[in-house]
Amino acid sequence: MSAAGPKSPPVAVHQFVPTLNPHDATGTHTLLLRDILRRAGWRSEIFAEAIHDDLATEAYKHWMYPDHAAAGDVVIYQFSTSSAVAGFLAERTEPLIVDFHNFTGPEHFAGWEPHTEQRAARAHDELVRLAPRAALGVADSHFNERCLRQAGYGRTAVVPVLVDYQRVATPPDARLAAELAAAKQNGGADILFVGRVVPSKGQHELVKALWAYRRLYDPAARLHLVGGTSSFAYLKALRGFANDLGLAGAVRIAGDVSDAALAAYFAAADVYLSLSAHEGFGVPLVEAMAAGVPVVARRAGAVPETVGDAALLVAGSDPLYIAAVLDRLCRDKALAQRLIDDGRRRVPQLSLDAVAPLLVAAIATVAGAPR
Amino acid sequence: MAKTTNTADAAETAGVTGAVDPQAYVAGVMAEIEEEVRLRRSSGDLPPKLERELDELFLAHSPVAGRGGDLTEALRMVDAAIFVDPVVPVASERAAGAVVKKGMRSVLLWYVGWITHQVSQFASAVSRSLHIVDGRLKELERKVEVQQVPSAAVVELPAAHHAKAWWVKPVLKTLKPVSGRIVHAASGDGWLVRQINAAGGDAYGVDPRPDLVAEGVLTVSDLRGEDVADHLRAVAPAGLGAIVLSGVVDGMASGERTQLLHLIANTLAPGGVLVVHSLSRSTWDAADAPYEADLAPGRPLRPETWKHLLDQSGYRTTVTIGPDDADYLVTAVRSSVPSSEPTPAR
Repeated sequence: MSAAGPKSPPVAVHQFVPTLNPHDATGTHTLLLRDILRRAGWRSEIFAEAIHDDLATEAYKHWMYPDHAAAGDVVIYQFSTSSAVAGFLAERTEPLIVDFHNFTGPEHFAGWEPHTEQRAARAHDELVRLAPRAALGVADSHFNERCLRQAGYGRTAVVPVLVDYQRVATPPDARLAAELAAAKQNGGADILFVGRVVPSKGQHELVKALWAYRRLYDPAARLHLVGGTSSFAYLKALRGFANDLGLAGAVRIAGDVSDAALAAYFAAADVYLSLSAHEGFGVPLVEAMAAGVPVVARRAGAVPETVGDAALLVAGSDPLYIAAVLDRLCRDKALAQRLIDDGRRRVPQLSLDAVAPLLVAAIATVAGAPR
Repeated sequence: MAKTTNTADAAETAGVTGAVDPQAYVAGVMAEIEEEVRLRRSSGDLPPKLERELDELFLAHSPVAGRGGDLTEALRMVDAAIFVDPVVPVASERAAGAVVKKGMRSVLLWYVGWITHQVSQFASAVSRSLHIVDGRLKELERKVEVQQVPSAAVVELPAAHHAKAWWVKPVLKTLKPVSGRIVHAASGDGWLVRQINAAGGDAYGVDPRPDLVAEGVLTVSDLRGEDVADHLRAVAPAGLGAIVLSGVVDGMASGERTQLLHLIANTLAPGGVLVVHSLSRSTWDAADAPYEADLAPGRPLRPETWKHLLDQSGYRTTVTIGPDDADYLVTAVRSSVPSSEPTPAR
């Protein structure tokens, strides 16, 4: 753990990640951190088990690392799921920083995706396996830090995930914005949730809440679910459930969307509603705040510390209760404006400018000061 | 339904973000929402039955594995999903879409139909096999149910199980040199645990009778409300210095006793001590015997049988007969080097 001497080449701080994907929080964090590390004066490359086609020139396969390894290297593992990378790093000797983004526990996939359930169970074993090797564990939230501690990590730090929240300021997709505006002409609130369509994110709870809200308060309300899926069984069940409730026209399952389309959804939303049962951080919650959308969220995992005082936190997902919360927020403009204002004050605390120096400082405790 | 907006009015009066304490404001809003929910519930706007039906409706779309462990229900789902329909739906949000889809379906039906036919045949064969397994399992369950042997209850006699009973002193003497933890089962309110600890031992108790354990924990810190076999399954191999059994083995069926001895062999450290206190057969057969004697699946062994059993398992065994031949004590010291690997009975 020494700083590079004056005549040595810059110390390299390389990153490893299970999957480098341009559309998920871990992938974005990894790419942003690579640029920050380089700007700080470290050499830095990304090594991954799987690389999205769009990022093929941005990273190397993890097994190619020995060709790049040099004395004095420090490696960071962006831990978000089970991966062969964990076993690979367990056998290496470079000082290791585990940047932990949490993973959805196997219990959330039980009965839906046996393969994913097994993989989630392996993720925990891998986290424990890397503990003795880790010089530092970095967690996105205190909630995640507690997981690291329980897994045996002695030295830890809490630094929020790196996200450029400016992306919600992208000009909205004009065609989609017009379509959403036309629907709004007929009345009804637009409720939005952004996240992978998987059981733990609780999209079916959102459908139940929408059904109750339409039945009791707002018969024209709509629900927009943005995000890809890794559970087709759950997606199919969700569609069937919405159809059975007569909500096929009111529930829009949009899948993965572009930044422009996401901006259009945020622009149209009256409420951002999250009933997710497990969140290690909750990037879309902050994006909603950045977009000026009032947030209602289930108090789960790291959600309370991510949103601070800038959201209405609810204890469970009882449809009647959620419907009443939605009604209050849509009727009470002062309350909505207060949440929007508080949200806009919260975002800078989690912005790149605020978080990047904290992460660099944490990494420097292992890698030494950059040259 | 009356709308309650007191907190909002208060906030507006105070200039929305001005004088009202933010946390108190949000707490006020949530309290008003809860009141609204209470009113809605009491008015029957959304009865709990309807919410349950919502859950069931969603569950109906979940995969078979998501519906609990009922085999019959799972088989019903399998049967319902056996036929793979090659005639895919062609509905579309766009008018031309339905025409295109229908055309594609017609063109591909010969191919898709051939594949789905084979998949359906395979699924039928698997379903038939599962039904046969289900039938045989049910038959086995019926047979096993008849032959099921209940676990032996704790048998306690006031004359034999108390702090001044004749066998307590020899037990304390035997346990004196023991290093490591000592477990007493069935410990009741901890009467023997207290004495062992007072004599310098490190003892704790287990007993499946929750009322006695609850009473005992007021004076003995480490009493656990569980069956001794369940407890030993959770103990690390060779983790105990001594095991004292009283009121536990008397009425055990042979299978349960064998299982317990395997567990003891696994958890007792080499050189550790096993103490067994048992009522004798004459006490068991007496007119004033506890009613557990009639209900127990087994009966007490003769002391000689215990000696034979434990000697064969690599213990050095001593038997002491109590006054009037009413009960007896078996003290067995486990060999320092186990003669064979213990068999885990899990």
